[in-house]
Amino acid sequence: MFFKKYNEKKDGVIRGYDVRSTSVKIACIIIMLICLLIVLCSVFPVVWVFLASFKDIREFNREVTIIPSSFDLSKLQDTWQQFKFIKYYRNSLIAVAGSIVCAVIFNGLLAYVIAILKPKGYKIIWMLVMWSLLIPSITNIVSLYRNINILGLNGTFIPLWFAYGANAFYVVLFKEFFEEIPGELLEAARLDGAGVLRVFTSIILPLSRPIIMVVAIFAMTAAWSDFLLPYLTLKGTQFETVMVKLFAFKDTPTDAVSVLRACMFAIVPPTIIFAIFQKQITDGASAGAIKG
Amino acid sequence: MKTKFKRKDLIGWLVMLPTLILFTFYVWEPLIENIRLSLFKTIRYETKEFVGLANYARVLKNPDFMAAFKNTFSYTFWSLAIGFLVPIVLGILISETVYLKGLFRTGIYFPNIVPGIATIWIWNYFFTPGPTGVLNILLGKLGIEPSVWLNNPKWTIPLIIITMTWKSAGSTALIYMANISGISPDLYEAATIDGATIWERIRYITLPNVFGLAKTLLILQIISVFQILYEPMILKNGGPNNASISLMMLQYRYAFRDSDYSGGAALSVMICIILIILSGIYMCLTKKKEND
Repeated sequence: MFFKKYNEKKDGVIRGYDVRSTSVKIACIIIMLICLLIVLCSVFPVVWVFLASFKDIREFNREVTIIPSSFDLSKLQDTWQQFKFIKYYRNSLIAVAGSIVCAVIFNGLLAYVIAILKPKGYKIIWMLVMWSLLIPSITNIVSLYRNINILGLNGTFIPLWFAYGANAFYVVLFKEFFEEIPGELLEAARLDGAGVLRVFTSIILPLSRPIIMVVAIFAMTAAWSDFLLPYLTLKGTQFETVMVKLFAFKDTPTDAVSVLRACMFAIVPPTIIFAIFQKQITDGASAGAIKG
Repeated sequence: MKTKFKRKDLIGWLVMLPTLILFTFYVWEPLIENIRLSLFKTIRYETKEFVGLANYARVLKNPDFMAAFKNTFSYTFWSLAIGFLVPIVLGILISETVYLKGLFRTGIYFPNIVPGIATIWIWNYFFTPGPTGVLNILLGKLGIEPSVWLNNPKWTIPLIIITMTWKSAGSTALIYMANISGISPDLYEAATIDGATIWERIRYITLPNVFGLAKTLLILQIISVFQILYEPMILKNGGPNNASISLMMLQYRYAFRDSDYSGGAALSVMICIILIILSGIYMCLTKKKEND
């Protein structure tokens, strides 16, 4: 029976014994319908983009419909080739790959020092990191951009990659995880004569696979969607990423359907990643943020 | 013994040195550099003579500044009115379901992985005035007159906040859900024995329990409102008639449209001061929570 499962409900206000009354039963069904409606609202805009990108521009501007008249994949192919989208995909992939590597290595090492090695004065660094969590990086962009230019790193991927190596949120995620590793394990290794780096590579790293996954996935979606720094440093070079191209549509008159198809090309890769790693992503999102 | 401790400290600092350099380059140095730049006259990347607070006076006198400053309050107001409550309600509703919970969780989180720029383009076409705008099509099916949406300056900011809420409410709701599922069922059961109805249990158990978390997220949300940049830029380029220009947009115009880095830096410093005050409040609130 539909309501039987409510007896096993572990959290929430409505308890198993409430579900005996008819009004609570109706409320349960209404809540479920509302939730379905909310999920529909959450996915509808993206579904719409997929549908609209199959329309041609005349249909898009004239017809008052949501469903396109035909599903012709060659239209998408035309836009893909017209904008040489493969180039933007390749650039985005290079930017994302480097960002993931930097995000994992640099933030991981800092967290390892703060959580486990704890050298003298580490608390000052921890405090500075916590403060940078609260000052959004976007307020730094003026000086940062100026410094990047002075160093001559404009038009390269280097500033984008290393930007992910200085992310306070990832440091917090790593630190929380490292602190859970039992101290006896580390102590035993130290007694066996393992050095600082040895402990890191042979004990911490193998145990940290889950958190490395979480940070890598976060860095991946963040780097893919990142636009301000890539736009400022890569605009006009041959290294423009997908987001730079999407933002540039603002200044170049392009027909609506092409913009929407480009949006769809930008949405597909993170959607695939999300479909594969949805559990890690949603768990990481709720766990990390509370502690941070 | 003493030398051994020093060696351990040194290794610790060496391991985190690369990350500290990155944090310095991307976060800490630009903060200080902003203050320095804001006190000098600059011509492109070069700093000329010391001008004291003249840059600040110049920014404050800019008519766009007053518009952006007022809009920030308007953004904050609407983001609290719409964006603050939606995730709490979502969290409570989904906590009450037993079927399809996984689908609801993934569904509401999905907009969060859609790249921000793509999101704004999609909503741009949702808000298209005239009969072919998506929302006008949908409303037309319900027999409602088409609206001009963003072209009405009164609605520009609330609608931008709605697009932002669409994107971020799901991930915030997941945090609330984790919090709600941490509430012991015994509390609800004890309250039921004392004769509390479902509404009373929400009012006296669930809401007080999420209150601490809500306070924290409130401040974080206000901080994120200060970062609004590309949303008004793509949708209406700050218009209609400066109705949606944000402080970050103004900073962008100073630094990257007009190459006036000292003006941009002065504005950054002002934004940072506001954010530091807000962060101070946030620190006080979280401290209290730990002491409870």
